[in-house]
Amino acid sequence: MKKIILIIIYSIFWKNFLKIFIGLKYVNEKTLKNKKQFILIANHNSHMDTMAIMSAIPSRYIHKVHPIAARDFFGGSLFKKILMRYLVNATLIKRDREDPENDPIDSMDKMLKKSRSLILFPEGSRGIPGVMANFKKGLGYLIQRNPEIKVIPVYLDNVYKTLPRGKNLILPYNCSIKFGDPIQFKSMEMEDILLSSEKAMENLKK
Amino acid sequence: MNKIFNSINLIPEIQWVIAIILGILVFATILFWFWNRIKPSKLVDEMQLRTRSWWIMCIIFLFASIVHPVVTYLALGFLSFLTLREVYSLLNLREVDRSVLFFCYLSIPIQYYFAFKGYYTLFLIFIPVFMFIIVPFLLVLTGETKDIIRSMCILPTSLMLGVFGISHLALLINFPEMNSNGVSGKALLLFLIFITEANDIMQFVWGKIFGKHKILPRVSPNKTWEGFIGGVISTTIIGCLMGFLTPLNTWQLIIISGSMAVFGFMGDAIMSAVKRDFGVKDMSNAIPGHGGVLDRVDSLSTTASPFFHLIYLILITS
Repeated sequence: MKKIILIIIYSIFWKNFLKIFIGLKYVNEKTLKNKKQFILIANHNSHMDTMAIMSAIPSRYIHKVHPIAARDFFGGSLFKKILMRYLVNATLIKRDREDPENDPIDSMDKMLKKSRSLILFPEGSRGIPGVMANFKKGLGYLIQRNPEIKVIPVYLDNVYKTLPRGKNLILPYNCSIKFGDPIQFKSMEMEDILLSSEKAMENLKK
Repeated sequence: MNKIFNSINLIPEIQWVIAIILGILVFATILFWFWNRIKPSKLVDEMQLRTRSWWIMCIIFLFASIVHPVVTYLALGFLSFLTLREVYSLLNLREVDRSVLFFCYLSIPIQYYFAFKGYYTLFLIFIPVFMFIIVPFLLVLTGETKDIIRSMCILPTSLMLGVFGISHLALLINFPEMNSNGVSGKALLLFLIFITEANDIMQFVWGKIFGKHKILPRVSPNKTWEGFIGGVISTTIIGCLMGFLTPLNTWQLIIISGSMAVFGFMGDAIMSAVKRDFGVKDMSNAIPGHGGVLDRVDSLSTTASPFFHLIYLILITS
């Protein structure tokens, strides 16, 4: 049921809306085709980012892909929670790591162990357009615990212009979403992981 | 669906044009294929890419223009929309202009509705009179006056080229005076698009073969006097040969197709200058080999309205 809803929303509605009306171009989205499980990391400037990425995911396993969202921002009311749960397929996590019972890394790790895929915005929150903030360490911990899962960089070029921060009117703008090849990590050191993923992102930007 | 296809009634003239267009495409495809076999070069690769895009554009255009007029209207409206989107994506407008852009996009359905209903006066004045006042005022309402004059110039001008110009193509199909006494709006539409695109191609070909003296050295180094003059002459000849689509006599045909060649060149040159100012070669990469949508319709946006009004003048005075 959830799968059908997600396919209608993303693979049919958003995909065509973004392609025809907004002018979004999908570059190399075939790279996702034969991969069962992955972590997508993307730059984050607008709420359209999640929609753009979700619309590019093959409909066969769209119900197994979860964007990660902050509970303090998106889980404010019950209505919002249900919306996020069923229409975005999102997993809500706490941003602070004070409560050891509810460590965000643990909950993401659990999703991966259940053979789910994740969409992460390792910059943390919507940053300044065009400027890549340093990646958060959470990505590193997650990869250290699941070294076999492929990490695919996604670069959203100008997608934020269709819905900039603080605006609520979606307007067309010729933009593109670029998928890279899975990142090869030199070692499982925290620094190496963050550095090579940031580098993969910079390479996609060109 | 049946209704859409039932309304296809092709007069023999239009059938002829379709045959000619497909013939040229087949000829070009075969020519460049052999050329590439015998003497491969970068130019031939580009020409093959262009020809392939021409096939797609011609098939979409022919399909849209011969089925039910509503489909033609939707297709032309979408063309206007693509043009505006390309302009606004390139020109780095201010973020406060977003709300005004929405009204600019909104003017497309309104303008095409006037064309569909044949409200001639409203169609003519909506953009040059009303939008030229409303859009700057909406910009004032945003409250941000820094760089406002730039937006005040760009937005109405883009409407003029992208919506007002192109929508004259739509007006041709439905206009009462254009569809009586043996005059067919569809045939006139095909005639206009055929000579405008033929002019583009001819200026390109003449310039490539004989081009020596640059006509606009600082704006567009590819445009030459040889290309311009050769283009105007060959477009006039093509216009006379295609005259069976129109109710005009030979003299009128020469004047109309000659002036369309000049107007088409002007549109091309205007867009070249805009592109040069923004340091880009093409508006986008929407059409392989051609650049953006606006790179293809730039000449059409300046020929459509002069063509319509010249024909209108000739028809009501004769």
